Amino acid sequence: MDRRTLLKGFAGVGSLAATGGLSMPALSQGAAARTLRFVPQANLANFDPIWGTQYVVRNAAAMVWDTLYGVDATLQPQRQMIESEETSDDGLVWTFRLRPGLKFHDGEPVLSKDVVASLTRWSARDPMGLMLKALQNELVAVDDRTFKWSLKAPYPKMLLALGKNSTPIAFIMPERLAQTDPFKQIPDYIGSGPMKFAKSEWVPGAKAVFEKFADYAPRQEKASWLAGGKQMLIDRIEWVVIPDPATAAAALQNGEVDWWENPITDLVPSLKKNRNINVDIADPLGNIGSFRMNHLHPPFNDVKARRAVLTALSQEDYMRALVGDEPALWKPLPGFFTPDTPLYSEAGGEILKGKRDLTAAKKLLAESGYSGQPVTCLVAQDQPITKAFGDVTADLLKQMGMNVDFVATDWGTVGSRRAQKTPPGQGGWQVFHTWHAGADCVNPAVYNAVRGTGDKAWFGWPTSEAVEKEVTAWFGAKNLDEEKAAVGRLNKAALEDVVYAPTGFFLSYTAWRKNVSGITKGPLPFFWGVSKTA
Amino acid sequence: MLSYILRRILSTLPVMGIVALFVFSLLYIAPGDPAAVIAGDQASPADVERIRQSLGLDRPFLVQFSSWLWDILHGNLGTSIFTNLPVAKMIAQRIEPTLSLMAITLVLTILVAVPLGVLAAWKAGSWIDRTIMAFAVFAFSLPVFVVGYVLAYVFALQFEWLPVQGYTPLSNGVWPWFQNLILPALALGSVYIALIARITRASMLEVLQQDYVRTARAKGLDQRSILFIHALKNAAVPIVTVIGIGIALLIGGAVVTESVFAIPGLGRLTIDAILRRDYPVIQGIVLLFSFLYVLVNLMVDVTYTLVDPRIRY
Amino acid sequence: MTVMETNTVRIPPGLVVAPQLPDLLSPVKIRRGVLGFLRNHPTVAIGGALLICLVLVGIFAPYLWTVDPTAIAPAKRTRLPSADYWFGTDLLGRDIYSRVIYGARVSLTVGLSVAVLASLAGLAIGLVSGFVRWADGIIMRFMDGLMSIPPILLAVALMALTRASVGNVILAITVAEIPRVSRLVRSVVLSLREQPYVDAATASGTRTPMIILRHILPNTLAPMLVQATYICASAMIVESILSFIGAGTPPTIPSWGNIMAEGRALWQVKPYIVFFPAAFLSVTVLAVNLLGDGLRDALDPRMAKSL
Repeated sequence: MDRRTLLKGFAGVGSLAATGGLSMPALSQGAAARTLRFVPQANLANFDPIWGTQYVVRNAAAMVWDTLYGVDATLQPQRQMIESEETSDDGLVWTFRLRPGLKFHDGEPVLSKDVVASLTRWSARDPMGLMLKALQNELVAVDDRTFKWSLKAPYPKMLLALGKNSTPIAFIMPERLAQTDPFKQIPDYIGSGPMKFAKSEWVPGAKAVFEKFADYAPRQEKASWLAGGKQMLIDRIEWVVIPDPATAAAALQNGEVDWWENPITDLVPSLKKNRNINVDIADPLGNIGSFRMNHLHPPFNDVKARRAVLTALSQEDYMRALVGDEPALWKPLPGFFTPDTPLYSEAGGEILKGKRDLTAAKKLLAESGYSGQPVTCLVAQDQPITKAFGDVTADLLKQMGMNVDFVATDWGTVGSRRAQKTPPGQGGWQVFHTWHAGADCVNPAVYNAVRGTGDKAWFGWPTSEAVEKEVTAWFGAKNLDEEKAAVGRLNKAALEDVVYAPTGFFLSYTAWRKNVSGITKGPLPFFWGVSKTA
Repeated sequence: MLSYILRRILSTLPVMGIVALFVFSLLYIAPGDPAAVIAGDQASPADVERIRQSLGLDRPFLVQFSSWLWDILHGNLGTSIFTNLPVAKMIAQRIEPTLSLMAITLVLTILVAVPLGVLAAWKAGSWIDRTIMAFAVFAFSLPVFVVGYVLAYVFALQFEWLPVQGYTPLSNGVWPWFQNLILPALALGSVYIALIARITRASMLEVLQQDYVRTARAKGLDQRSILFIHALKNAAVPIVTVIGIGIALLIGGAVVTESVFAIPGLGRLTIDAILRRDYPVIQGIVLLFSFLYVLVNLMVDVTYTLVDPRIRY
Repeated sequence: MTVMETNTVRIPPGLVVAPQLPDLLSPVKIRRGVLGFLRNHPTVAIGGALLICLVLVGIFAPYLWTVDPTAIAPAKRTRLPSADYWFGTDLLGRDIYSRVIYGARVSLTVGLSVAVLASLAGLAIGLVSGFVRWADGIIMRFMDGLMSIPPILLAVALMALTRASVGNVILAITVAEIPRVSRLVRSVVLSLREQPYVDAATASGTRTPMIILRHILPNTLAPMLVQATYICASAMIVESILSFIGAGTPPTIPSWGNIMAEGRALWQVKPYIVFFPAAFLSVTVLAVNLLGDGLRDALDPRMAKSL
């Protein structure tokens, strides 16, 4: 089965439900039916999708701000705010034209100058944006609805950059907001998306409220992820933050909330037993678990020590510790790219397959010269994913004969400490865990964590010339076959140099009450097309 | 009296100052970096550094502290690093649930605990006394979250009598407001009920042995009037004291209770702020809590004069 | 502020149970023998016996049919209690029975250490504060400041400051408990100083260390012992709360709070994960509280008589 059929199959489940929802006139129902109460994965603590790039901010922002392009369920960028675009023959000058009738929530029309300011701010923060900025000759408004981006060299991934769903998304804001320093927060939350943000009702840590924007002009096409017509069938969306999963489960069962974004797997059986609740896979693109090693300091500055970890690491242990006994929720991942996407590869993945070889791992480790120095492992306890990974890693390293210095802490501390390049004894580290959304691991452009640019690379600072060579090859690829070949070689090189150790591919559930329909599978919760009966 | 209260208020200022300095330096030397949390997983170290600079977190300790103190003295608690909202506003949004929870817990506690304690003292040595005291010791030994989960399981999930979670503002009606707070107040109050019941019993026993009470008993005065008018009034001082001390206990317990019952109060705001290193918010809340504590204890001291005429200032 | 120095009712009897006057503190009549004492104070016997059992369980944990409490087995996770896994297994497939038994070590260590450390520190601070007039104001303001921060918040903040370890948990809880002990000691010192015989001793030129040794310490010991048991109980609960919030004992060490924290998301479907550590914790705290109550009654005959 190729990935298109698979993804269409996934999307089909949602759209089938959506037609059922569409036939019901939303306005004739009571107020309860027009308000959707949603339990997000985390607290919406700030609300500037360029400044803060947590997934939860992106998910809320996707309702409030619109994009020029949007990827659909087949990962292809489609026009959203854009009516038409043109490329010069040499591929250097892009001219875009906005759809007519677009309005911001304050009633002002969306103009080219807003787009120019928004793209300028975004390109200072986004990895693809930074590449565009480096190539940029000028980005200017031609008239109110036309703008032009001219480059020094062709950038064939332009539409993907403008429509991708990985953070930060290229959201379009009014010029006055977009002129804010990209490293400071915007003072107000005005967008042109289908929902308005009710700032006065926002209680960070508890509640965020979105109201339908009456003047939104959706496209005529059927909605598919960030593409197509974003038809809002509900008037009001309340995000209710419930940090305790047991409480969230109880609230969903009692009908106090309608939709829980990420129920923990162990509670799913009891949710499934409830006649009023639907449970399904949230995002077919899933997540990739990461065991990140510090390439600057012993023992993991030696590739043998890193390969020792790959030799002994059991992805099944990591995955089952996280998702429990549900085999449908995880897959072994002998590679770095998202399964069931075009560039997925298992080249060089033998080291992660088959029976785990502790003896060989110990031998490799001894050859690397490791002799019992403490290995500092940063483990964030407030994230279920990193917590489970950390427990498994502590056990794994102990079995490999390593002396684990387990630093149990919170995500905030891991976030700052992992940036320390100093040796582990002086504030640095050797291991931390994180995970990458599958949607961010579909190609090398959006995938910072697989890069091997040494000092400039992502935390852990791996150096791999072989990986970088293939990244360049991929950017220059002229067709999908060339792209696949380049990424296959990249995957092999990244495993040989052990850029990081993938701990597996996992999916998560989402759960909603049966009076809600139109929920689509995707990398973020899409609220358009969702309806509710009383 | 008035000058006493004034002196007390003045004497709390250095206390608040110590708390402020203490908390500020604690957070300053704490590891963890709000800039890294904001920047998210895809940000480069350079981005994190720029965010840190724009938040002013790279300035020296004394500069940060004095500018914060200066703002406080001007009635400005600062702005949250994360939400960009004024700390005073965030606290104002969250204070109603916490105060409601504490108030209901306190009322509930006194309504339950004082009669229990009086009863136990009156029937000292009987099976009633033993049962009450056994219950008190037991309730005292259970962590608040265990009580919370058991209550939620029984009354919200099995019987479906009460909501599992959340908070309804008082402006939406007294019953919906009260309904949401019954279970949390019981969970939070269990330890407190045990504590106050024991203290009530102990101080009642003490008073009941005083000569004048014995005399009253010997004179054949009505038992109830002895208990509730003569004895309880004299036993009130230690009870009131413990209610004052218990405020700190209550605030600590509220942190846990609020997260078990998903009540959007100050307790959860505090934990969230500590985990994210949202310094201005943490400082604002701790200042507020210590102010509250000092205030309550001042009130307690004033109450002494009302319940015990022997105490004069 | 004169009221606080002379008015002994500032000490809440139930919380602290400080007998206020020395003549009430007649020493335990040892000559009746330990057995006789225990017979007269059954709560001390019950509490003490329970506590000794738990201490033994903690010490001999490796020999009580336990396995490695940290060995994970994700393939055997969340198993119900059975002949193989007496208390079932947790989310990582670890044996809950072994974890609970080893967990006794953490709770007891934390409880006892905090009780001892807080008592010693509180005693020292209370004595200084009670005898050195000029230092009293400063110390008590500082203690007021510490006390005005809710203990759990203070401990969470201290834990955020350092890395998670049992030592730091003990330290954080101790810091939060010190003000209470030092206030107790100070008030006992102040009330004793008013006593004619202490006055007389001072007037006759007995030096302060001697007064402390002869008059103050013996009379402080009883209320402090009682207070220490309550601190021990509360420290065990605070440890579990800290671990429950995720700011306590490091998760690599099995502690009752940690086991509950890890199982709490599943309390609806797998209640046994929370039940066993909760039961052990409750029983332990209960034992300590019984011991404390018994000691209070034994050391304060006035209260004992009324029972």
